[in-house]
Amino acid sequence: MTDHSLTVTTRAVGERVAVLTVSGEIDRASREVLATAAADVLEQGRHRLVLDLTGLEFCDSSGLSLFVELHRRTLALAGGLRLGGARPLVATVILATSLDRLLRLHPTADAAVDAALRDD
Amino acid sequence: MSDSPWFDALRGILDRSHLWTPDDITPTVNAALAGLGIQVRIWLIDHEQVALRTLPDTGRILPVDSCPAFTLVSSRPEGDRLWVPMVDGTDRLGVIEFLPAPPEVERCEMIAGLVGHLIGTIAERGDLIESTRRTRPMSPAAELLFRLLPPLTSSTDRLVTSAVLQPCYEVGGDGFDYAHDDTTAALLILDAVGHGLPAGLACAVALSAVRATRRAGGGLAEQARAADAALLEQFPDSRFVTAVLAEVDLAGGRLRYLNAGHPAPLLLRDGTMMRELTGGRRMPLGIEDDTPIAEEALEPGDRLLFYTDGVTEARSADGDRFGLPRLVDLIEKHESAGLPTPETLRRLAHAVLEHQDGPPADDATLMLVQWSATAASNTVPTAGRTVREEQTT
Repeated sequence: MTDHSLTVTTRAVGERVAVLTVSGEIDRASREVLATAAADVLEQGRHRLVLDLTGLEFCDSSGLSLFVELHRRTLALAGGLRLGGARPLVATVILATSLDRLLRLHPTADAAVDAALRDD
Repeated sequence: MSDSPWFDALRGILDRSHLWTPDDITPTVNAALAGLGIQVRIWLIDHEQVALRTLPDTGRILPVDSCPAFTLVSSRPEGDRLWVPMVDGTDRLGVIEFLPAPPEVERCEMIAGLVGHLIGTIAERGDLIESTRRTRPMSPAAELLFRLLPPLTSSTDRLVTSAVLQPCYEVGGDGFDYAHDDTTAALLILDAVGHGLPAGLACAVALSAVRATRRAGGGLAEQARAADAALLEQFPDSRFVTAVLAEVDLAGGRLRYLNAGHPAPLLLRDGTMMRELTGGRRMPLGIEDDTPIAEEALEPGDRLLFYTDGVTEARSADGDRFGLPRLVDLIEKHESAGLPTPETLRRLAHAVLEHQDGPPADDATLMLVQWSATAASNTVPTAGRTVREEQTT
């Protein structure tokens, strides 16, 4: 349960989309790593966030609440949040809490990026 | 034999109870029973429900597993003494040891019943009862939470509700509530995001919003919306709380419920698991959503098990999850043993704790509700039991 258990790398796509590639585990100790990375991107003016979850091995409720927070913040900035490539274990956590009714899930990160680019 | 010495004893205890402090309880009861030639030792259960300690604490410890008067809520003679369960309502507070054992078991249960009620009412006015029940300090989050929760067990003629929270000195984000009224039992289980005091505060906000709305006559959907609004207002960081809100119509057995992102409650019938109650789903409290209400027809004797994911996600040192099948297997086993509902839950909670070799990673809460007059009467000390017919309509 150290904050080294999560790494986030960021890349820009086009003018307005940012992809955050999330690897490792999100829990209450490590969620700040993603929160900080997302805050930086939003500050730079990219308000359409895609979280590439392909490398995410575990996500607890602290992670889910961060997804909800990013969803709300990006919407308030006329942007949006999309999640791509969640593994079955992570997808199960999202489905178990019914948060798939709020969070937009895509089978792959590429599909999430395509959808984010079409958001106009 | 005349009842008047027993009446005098009851009067002696009641007269003193207006002004006593927890330290006075044992001397007062002993003084009141002196005329009958009986002495008592009052034993209180610790919060983890592992051992009993004397009031005031003398360092003596009685393991719960060696005390059937406590576990089975049933008076037991043992040699020259009598062990009598001490309950507040039906909440198990401990046992009273009567020496020498009087033949009048029912009279002793009457004394223990009165002392149990009085300890229940004085527990929050001094610290001694609470400090005697604690084997180590409680976290601020747990202190906050336990002040909010109703007693772990409560019964009426028609049903019994019992709950356990672990780890009891550090819980924060989990909670439960119930309200047993004449025609309806309202039920609630909660699990707030995160741990410690922030989670405890979110749980407290959600529980209080639901309770206040319910007491103002609001229905399930209204209660959930009140919790959404209160959480959104208090926690800008999207802190949410998963929950099941339910109500049982005690005449007909109609169950209505909604599930805000929480593990589905289990329906057990005739001692076996029927199914998970998967309806009424919406997002967690704190995230506004439609609020569908699901319905289920209960049959007399049915049990409902509500739990938080800390139960099924509890992991052993080698990563083995406690899991739903193990939970179902254990509860079916205890059902066939005919244990009182709070004892079934105590054993389930300890099985979850034992499964984890180290300190628990998450709060684990279980709440078991049984719509059964027999189950309810099993939570009342034996000699005073009047078993009523099972509800049939």
